[in-house]
Amino acid sequence: MMQIFVLIVFTILYAPIVLVIISSFFDAGNFTLKWFEDVFQDEKILKAFYNSITLAILSTLFSVILGTASAYAFLRSKMKFESLFYTPIIIPEITEALSLLLFYKFLSFPLGFFSVLLGHIAFNIAFVFVIVKARLSGYEKSIEEVSLTLGANEVQTFFRVTIPIAMPGIVAASLIAFTLSWDNFIKTVFTTGPGFQTLPLLIWSQAARGVVSPSLSALTTLMLLISMILAYFYVRISIKRE
Amino acid sequence: MKKISAYPGIIYLIVFFYLPLLIVIVYSFGFPNFKFDYYIEISKPLYFKVFLNSFILAGITTISCFLLAYPLAYYIALRAQKWKNLLLILLILPFWMSLLLRTYAIMNILNTFGLMFTFTAVVIGMVYDYLPFMVLPLYASLEKLKKSQIEASYVLGANPWKTFFKITLPQSKSGIIAGVILVFIPSLGEFVVPAMLGGTYVTIGTITWDLFLRYHDWWRGSALSMLYMAIIFIALAFYMRKEGKIEI
Repeated sequence: MMQIFVLIVFTILYAPIVLVIISSFFDAGNFTLKWFEDVFQDEKILKAFYNSITLAILSTLFSVILGTASAYAFLRSKMKFESLFYTPIIIPEITEALSLLLFYKFLSFPLGFFSVLLGHIAFNIAFVFVIVKARLSGYEKSIEEVSLTLGANEVQTFFRVTIPIAMPGIVAASLIAFTLSWDNFIKTVFTTGPGFQTLPLLIWSQAARGVVSPSLSALTTLMLLISMILAYFYVRISIKRE
Repeated sequence: MKKISAYPGIIYLIVFFYLPLLIVIVYSFGFPNFKFDYYIEISKPLYFKVFLNSFILAGITTISCFLLAYPLAYYIALRAQKWKNLLLILLILPFWMSLLLRTYAIMNILNTFGLMFTFTAVVIGMVYDYLPFMVLPLYASLEKLKKSQIEASYVLGANPWKTFFKITLPQSKSGIIAGVILVFIPSLGEFVVPAMLGGTYVTIGTITWDLFLRYHDWWRGSALSMLYMAIIFIALAFYMRKEGKIEI
């Protein structure tokens, strides 16, 4: 009984995704790759892809540096107000998005690549903080103390001992930060300006009218593929950790 | 010394997260003039209807997700055995796919069945998108459940239903609360699903979008957001008083 129920739920969960992937390989019942060719020849899509990837890489880079440094400080010294880093995770995304828009309007900050990037970093710092801190808290402080006793200074200890220990956490956090930024729609759409479009925005502008098209499905398939590659690495790191 | 390395991150969040929230408050009171009009306006029936719509949608979504997720989590945590790892991976994978893409995927199905732009379509889309958020915390709490207690209950003569309601359900309480919060709060303000699948079903999410991105009405939009946030914080405070802290 229960097995059948579980099977049905998982089928429902995956059938729509599998169907989109299959439909992107067919044209009137025949196998074809032309929808993918369309995607790779579309200037707008290529530009949006370039924008998305730049945004994701830069926001990951900055948020990992800032988030890791903060996580380390909170773990190794008694500091208050840790909840500063949790609010961005709890608060609804749309609220965060509109507050950033108002902030930029208030300052007359031009909307475009930078306004989007600055917003993405804020959100990601919180996630990096939580993940890296969880990873670091599993380790004994004594390893660092040994390093200090043996004559290394604090900076050397941080880079030679703490960072290598935290590395799996940092990589996991980077993968999550990258994905959050790569997939982000709400915050991007609120804080972007004319001329800066990412892949999720492009998909939205076409799918919002309820139109299903094979080339849109092909683009979806490619984006899912990228997400799955990232998820694969994440799962591999998590298994190693256990 | 070590404290210093926390400051860049803290300052960043203050500037690009907390300060913007402060500006929402400022606008909700009518910046550059001070007036309370916008709060009075959003308590009128028109906006009340929007909040009611959102609560109905979020409520139906949360209950449906719970009813589907509980047996699923129970099976994976206690019965799955050799399939456990595979099922867990299948459960985590949707977290890595963008909500927008998953909504597009379900849109294809809804189109086939001619359900697009109906309330049913919105509910199906919401449950489809948020189900994993309910299953995972439930799984985590059921996983910790002591099987010996269930066995003891049987040995002492309780039937499966009694065992479920007296042992299993109470012990998974923390997972239920976490799951309800993880589904209810974001679905209350969800924009993508109602906008993409629902056509005219107005929610907090869709009206926020319209006020900010279509009408550039920062003032009403801000007041509405403040009310939405107040509801969330009341719900969270209520939860934290009961549970002590939030585990996600």
